[in-house]
Amino acid sequence: MTMSLDQTSSVLAARKAHNEKLAARADKTRAVWFPWTVLALFLALPALQFVGNYNYVLHLVLFTACYVTMASGWNILGGFTGYISLGHNVFFAIGGYFAGMILARYGISTILLAPLAGVVCAAFGYLIGRVTLKTRGPSFIISSLALVMIARILFDHWSFVGGANGVALPATELPLAWAKLPYYYAFVVLAAFSVWASYKIKHSKFGLGLRAISKDEIKAESAGIDTRTYKVLAFAISGAFVGMAGAIWGEYLTYIRPNIFLLILVSVNMVLMCILGGKGTVAGPVIGAVLIVIFNELFVATLGASEINILATGAVMALALMFFPLGIVGTLARSGRLPRVLNWD
Amino acid sequence: MLEVKGLCKHFGGIRAVDNCSFTVERGSITALIGPNGAGKTTAFNCISRTTRPTSGEVWLDGERIDHLRPHRITRLGLSRTFQISRNLADMTVLENVIAQSRVEGWRDLFKPAMSSSEIDKAMGLLDFLGITRIAHEDGSNLSYGQKKLMDLAALLMSDPKIILLDEPAGGVNPSLLEEIVGHIRRLNDQGLTVLIVEHNMDLIMRLSHRIVVMAQGTVIADGRPDEVRENPAVLDAYLGGVLEEAA
Repeated sequence: MTMSLDQTSSVLAARKAHNEKLAARADKTRAVWFPWTVLALFLALPALQFVGNYNYVLHLVLFTACYVTMASGWNILGGFTGYISLGHNVFFAIGGYFAGMILARYGISTILLAPLAGVVCAAFGYLIGRVTLKTRGPSFIISSLALVMIARILFDHWSFVGGANGVALPATELPLAWAKLPYYYAFVVLAAFSVWASYKIKHSKFGLGLRAISKDEIKAESAGIDTRTYKVLAFAISGAFVGMAGAIWGEYLTYIRPNIFLLILVSVNMVLMCILGGKGTVAGPVIGAVLIVIFNELFVATLGASEINILATGAVMALALMFFPLGIVGTLARSGRLPRVLNWD
Repeated sequence: MLEVKGLCKHFGGIRAVDNCSFTVERGSITALIGPNGAGKTTAFNCISRTTRPTSGEVWLDGERIDHLRPHRITRLGLSRTFQISRNLADMTVLENVIAQSRVEGWRDLFKPAMSSSEIDKAMGLLDFLGITRIAHEDGSNLSYGQKKLMDLAALLMSDPKIILLDEPAGGVNPSLLEEIVGHIRRLNDQGLTVLIVEHNMDLIMRLSHRIVVMAQGTVIADGRPDEVRENPAVLDAYLGGVLEEAA
C-alpha cells in the first residue's frame, strides 16, 4: 500500500535525470563516426588503381564485404532469434542461380537483379520457414542441413541450369584494372546496407520480439508476441540478404555451379563469423568476417594451400572462443570493455 | 467472464485435468487451490493455451478461446504469469516489460522498440509496484522477488482484462508477500479480474472472493472461502491438514 505514494514530482524528476544520464552514457560509449569513416575509406579505395595494380586488395575487400552481408543476414535468424541454421547457403545458391540464369539468357546485370533475387529468396525463406521453424534446437539445425542436401541433389540434376557442370556467365568487358569495380561497389554497398538493416531491426518492435523469442519462446508467446510470424519473417529476411550476396557473387566468378554455392563450408563460415564476432550483436558478424578472411589469407600465404591452413584457422578459432565465449564483441560488451568504435548496437 | 467447461488434459494414460468446469466472475478474485498434482497449473496452461487441452471449452467474454494461439489470447485480454518466473535474461527490466506491449499489424513491427509513451507507461507500472530503481537492470541480475514483481509489471503492460497468477507468493519473503497481496487487491479494486493459483492458504483466505478446489484433475468444491473451509470433501482431499492451520 505504501508504494503508490511515489507519484510525486521529485521522484519523476529524479527518474528523468537518471534516464538522461543513461542516454548520455550511451552516447559516450558509442562512436558513430567510425563505421561511416570506414565506409568512406572503402568507397575511395579503388582510386589505388590509378597508381598501380591493387586487384588483390580489392578482391579481399570485396570478398570480406560479401561475407559481411551473409553473416549479418544469418545473424538476424541465428543471433537475434536464436535459431542456428547450417543451411543458409541454399539462399546463396537460389540468389546466384536466379540472377545468373537471367543474366545468361537476357544479359541483365546481376547487380540490378540483386534486389529481385533478395525478394525471391525471401519468398523461398518464408515457405521453407513455415515448415522447418516448427522444430527447435538441434532438430532445427538438422532440418537446415537436410535443406542443403535436398538443394544440392536438385541443382546437381536439374539440366535446365546445367546440372553439376553449371552455367558459364558472360564476363565483364571492362579493362582488367577496372573489371572488379562494379562488383566491388555492389558488395561494399550491400554490406553497409545489411549492417544498417540489422541495426534497424534490432532496435524495432520486431527485433525486441525476436530477442524475446531467443530467450524464452513460451514466455514470448504468452507475452502476446506472434512467435510463428516473427520467426518466419526473420528467416525470410535473413535469407534475402544471403540471396542478394549470392546473386552478385555468381556474376563476379562468371560461373554458377552447385559446388560453388552449395558447399557446407560457405554456411559454416557464416556461422563461425557470427560466433567469433558475437552473435546477436550488430558489429559481431562484421568483425568475425574480417578476422576469418584475414586468418584464411594469412595462413594460406604462410602455410601453403594444404590442409594445415584450415587446421591453423580452426586453432585460432578455438583459442578465441576460450577467451571470448560470447564472441569478441559480445564478451567485451558484457564486461563493459567494448571500445567505442565497435559499439554499433 | 471466464468460463471453463469440461476441460480435459491427458498425458498418455494420466488424466492431469479431468472434466474440470468452473467460472470466474467479472471483477472477482477467484482462487484455484488443491493438493500437489491436482492439475491446477495444467488447467492454467490449458486456459492460456500454453498447452493444448485434450478436450473441453474455454470461453472469455462470450468468445471461445481454446483453439486460439497464445498470443491471440493475450491480445483478447487474458494474461498470465508463470510459476517459475520466466524472464528474458540479457534484456533490461524495462525491455522485459515493454516486450509485452501490444503490437498491431505490420507497420508497428518496424517502429522503434521503445516509444517514449511506452517507456512512460512501463515506468508508471514499475512505479506502481515500487521497483523503478531496477528499471535499467539486466533481467538476470534480479532477486526472486524482484522477478515476480517484474512479471506482474510485464503482465499489466498488455492491458489485460483478466490476469492468471500462478503462485505469485511462491518462494517470496513475508514482507514482500504483503506487498504482493496489496498490489493484487489494488488491481482488483480498479476492476481487474484475477484468477490465482496458490499454496499459501492464509493468502488465499484473505484475498479471494471465491475458491475453486481441485483434486485429481477435477473440481471437488466451489464457493466462498468460509463455505469451502467447512466442506468435508475438501478437508478429505487435504487430509485435514493445511486448511485447519490457516483457520
